[in-house]
Amino acid sequence: MSDGVKTILFATILCLVCSLLLTLASTGLNAFQQENARVDRQKNILQAVGVVAPGRTYPADEIKALYQSTIQCISVNAEGQVLSAEAAPQKTMPLYLYLQDEQVQAYIVPVDSRGLWGRIYGYLALDTDGSTVTGFSVYQHSETPGLGGEIENQWFQRNFVGKRIVDTAGDFVSIKIAKGAVKNMIRPDLQPNYVDGISGATMTGKFLTEGLQGILQTYEPVSVHFRTQGMLKLPENALVCQPQS
Amino acid sequence: MSTAIVKITRTQTYRTVADALWQNNPISKQVLGICSSLAVTVQMNTAIVMALALTFVVAFSNLVISLMRKIIPRNIRIIVEVAVIATLVIIADEVLKAFMFNISKQLSVFVGLIITNCIVMGRAETCAMSNAPYPAFVDGLANGIGYGSVLVGVSFFRELLGAGKILGFAVVPQAFYDMGYMNMGLMLLAPGAFIVIGLFVWLEHALLKS
Repeated sequence: MSDGVKTILFATILCLVCSLLLTLASTGLNAFQQENARVDRQKNILQAVGVVAPGRTYPADEIKALYQSTIQCISVNAEGQVLSAEAAPQKTMPLYLYLQDEQVQAYIVPVDSRGLWGRIYGYLALDTDGSTVTGFSVYQHSETPGLGGEIENQWFQRNFVGKRIVDTAGDFVSIKIAKGAVKNMIRPDLQPNYVDGISGATMTGKFLTEGLQGILQTYEPVSVHFRTQGMLKLPENALVCQPQS
Repeated sequence: MSTAIVKITRTQTYRTVADALWQNNPISKQVLGICSSLAVTVQMNTAIVMALALTFVVAFSNLVISLMRKIIPRNIRIIVEVAVIATLVIIADEVLKAFMFNISKQLSVFVGLIITNCIVMGRAETCAMSNAPYPAFVDGLANGIGYGSVLVGVSFFRELLGAGKILGFAVVPQAFYDMGYMNMGLMLLAPGAFIVIGLFVWLEHALLKS
């Protein structure tokens, strides 16, 4: 057998063995990873409304129990109406409600934004006044650690608390990430609509600003409802939201 | 007793281990693998998991490459080494994601970056390609522990001085903070790790000279 053929044969066998091992590891552990990811998403929803503290670890069962008892996921349509289970099939958006003593305390919208290197996934919680942000969390991203990756850190996420998605006149403006510190860069009357940016991560901030704008725009009918009429009317058998993939 | 110790210190295995842990430590003597040791040493538990992951990868990549060393075609040997290392790294990453999800999130890209860690490639190329499986495996294990020992040492000081904790448990009493003691913020940043590693390198060189 010539050297060339031997080399190709060796490379082929090596590739087959390696891919077999990787497939085994990936499929064998997939169920555990999916479960971890599901609990992690629930934890981030709870974190956005301040039920669990960021940066602490909780047992999975505690997260699941807290989620069960305080979060309800419903489906709304593009006009912001809550759908009941009998509604005609149509395009729906998931909306999470944070309940305490049967009272809605906040609503949470899932964030799926473009980032610099990949998608940024998280949650943004808004107060029942339909305009004040009560929390923000990120559970998955591929930004550079130490730069754009700071979006997963507490100091960045705490910035969002108390910020507003409407301007002083009450019109929707979304929430933007400033270049640098808000108090140095932004006019005082606009400061409630801005959060501190991350130095060295201008692009991440730019994309996340655009992403949040798009998402809040999509959910604006829901926010308008909260702003003008207060609590959404929940039908008896609200359509449970489609679980995110 | 003393003859037993002399016998142990004369074995090849002992010399391999001592070399990797001390005289030729991959971080503090060869100054390899600095990137990950700056990034994952803020807390001890991430440093320990990273050390275990790297030890697993370097030991088994050495073993596998050493087993195949006589049949690996010379012209594609680097590709073969990288393929073996990459496979092991991805397996380690998948296992961490399944069973140590929180730590795997904190380690983020750095487990994946073990593939490019110079220690792993270095051992595969210089040791595994020319040694029998057993010595190669021991060499990999020892180098992983040598890397891990510096990692854990650095993270001990960074976590203690930077956050007042060891393995996540508060060890600096609240009374100290009440009296005005403050955590050293520098230790939480990468430059803090750079300084601590620099001191480790200095200490080792000074001790080896004397």
